[in-house]
Amino acid sequence: MHIPDNFLSTPVWVALDAISIPAAGLMVRRAGRDVEDTRIPLMGVMGAFVFAAQMINFPVGLGTSGHLVGGALLACTLGAAPAALVMTAIIAIQAFVFQDGGVLALGANVFNMAIAGVLAGYLPFQIWGAGRWRKQAIFVGAFLSVLVSASLALSELLISGIAMPQPVLLLSMGLFAISALIEGAITVSVVGAIEKLNPGFVRKAEASNGRTLAMLSGAAVVLGVAGFVLASSAPDGIQKLALQLGLTTKSSFHGPFADYAVGYFDSPWLRRATAGLAGLLVIYGICAAVGKMIARQRSA
Amino acid sequence: MHHVLVDRWSRGASPLHALDPRAKILSLAVFLIVLATTSANAVVPLTIDAALLLAGILIAGLPPGTLLIRAMAVLPFSLTFGLISWLAGDSLRAIGLIEKSYLSSVAVLLVVSTTPLPRLLGGLESLGAPRLLVLVAQFLYRYLFVISEQAQHMRLAAASRQGIPGAHRRSRFRAAAGALAVLFAHSYYRAEGINRAMLARGFSGKFPLLKPLRLKFADGLFLLAMAVFLVLVRVQ
Repeated sequence: MHIPDNFLSTPVWVALDAISIPAAGLMVRRAGRDVEDTRIPLMGVMGAFVFAAQMINFPVGLGTSGHLVGGALLACTLGAAPAALVMTAIIAIQAFVFQDGGVLALGANVFNMAIAGVLAGYLPFQIWGAGRWRKQAIFVGAFLSVLVSASLALSELLISGIAMPQPVLLLSMGLFAISALIEGAITVSVVGAIEKLNPGFVRKAEASNGRTLAMLSGAAVVLGVAGFVLASSAPDGIQKLALQLGLTTKSSFHGPFADYAVGYFDSPWLRRATAGLAGLLVIYGICAAVGKMIARQRSA
Repeated sequence: MHHVLVDRWSRGASPLHALDPRAKILSLAVFLIVLATTSANAVVPLTIDAALLLAGILIAGLPPGTLLIRAMAVLPFSLTFGLISWLAGDSLRAIGLIEKSYLSSVAVLLVVSTTPLPRLLGGLESLGAPRLLVLVAQFLYRYLFVISEQAQHMRLAAASRQGIPGAHRRSRFRAAAGALAVLFAHSYYRAEGINRAMLARGFSGKFPLLKPLRLKFADGLFLLAMAVFLVLVRVQ
């Protein structure tokens, strides 16, 4: 789900660009450290492979067909950070060359699909990929990766004030859940077939080194779930949140800025956007704090 | 194919093609930000923005009809959400979503159609995009056509072989997975070959541009004029 430009309200896309630029930078640095130079062409060609893979249709019943999205498959074969890097490159090429997704919304799309999506796809593989539940882990990873990306995209649209009636919301959630299941099935069978050709193509789960990545992936899943809850209760939920924070005209706040607050927060769009921005900043703060904590733990 | 056409357009010659990619990228950023903050019912600024894009298309010598149709790729998405917003009683937002997302799409297409992608990516890199990311994007774009063509051949071959009506869905699913695995393996080995070939040719870890980027006075003037004009239109 690529969000075009002008769908997200200004605070939302600005905040997501501000989050995605350092996050993608971190992923690129990590990938640069983990991957030897001989694998740089491999990452590019794998990106082209994911593009091309969309041409191969998988029959899923009822006369319809699905295709691979690829985040989890890349994570299983290249590792999380290189996969995030390749997905970022894919999303950028899609935005510029194919007008699939906006340029100002690049931060949002990179965050949803390349960072949160890939990390959520990698987490189960990282934890259970070595053991008996390997197949299930790959399935759950691919499922989560699509679901997390979609629910984040949906909640960003809702925070931006795009009204979606309850039935539409439920319908789109249902469709996303189905495509997430399809992605799980496709990824499992493709990984199985790839391993049959050459077991070395798929990473050994236990060989990967990071507690950090596991924690970040956990954060991505939590964020996705939070987004899901937010999306399903919004926009009422956000307005309620704004009400509780005293961001509405009905609040009993009568300070010197009361008039200003009334004027500013009279517009429901601004109110919602402000609440959304505040929420994102809180999330960003938590992520930054966790990151710092990890860094300290590592240097100690 | 769509991207082949855009690739051919981008190698044309016009004053817009001749500009430094960085000047175009930054002007595009200004345009998109100004557009994003313009109200959907501000008819005059939106008309001026649209006229500016049309002028750009004509100056670049691109076929306006074809380009404007290409940019409609965004419309299925915008129309869906426009309809949802309209049904929810927010008709101003519905109109805004459709017209502004279309204008943004035209603007991006105009820049991509007047700048070859290697130069565009080179410009992004010199504006601070990480080198590794730009490198991967270069490889991706270069091999996109090659691998896609291979996928198309495989699809055609599979369609020719699997003409048996009533073939079990499960087995067709597994056949598709096998095809993807083969495509994966081909891509993997191709990447190894590319790497060896590039090392043999003395690849230094950076794609050199045939014509190095140089910011000229005209580029600075263009960027300044665009920024001032767009902001003035916005604030009126």
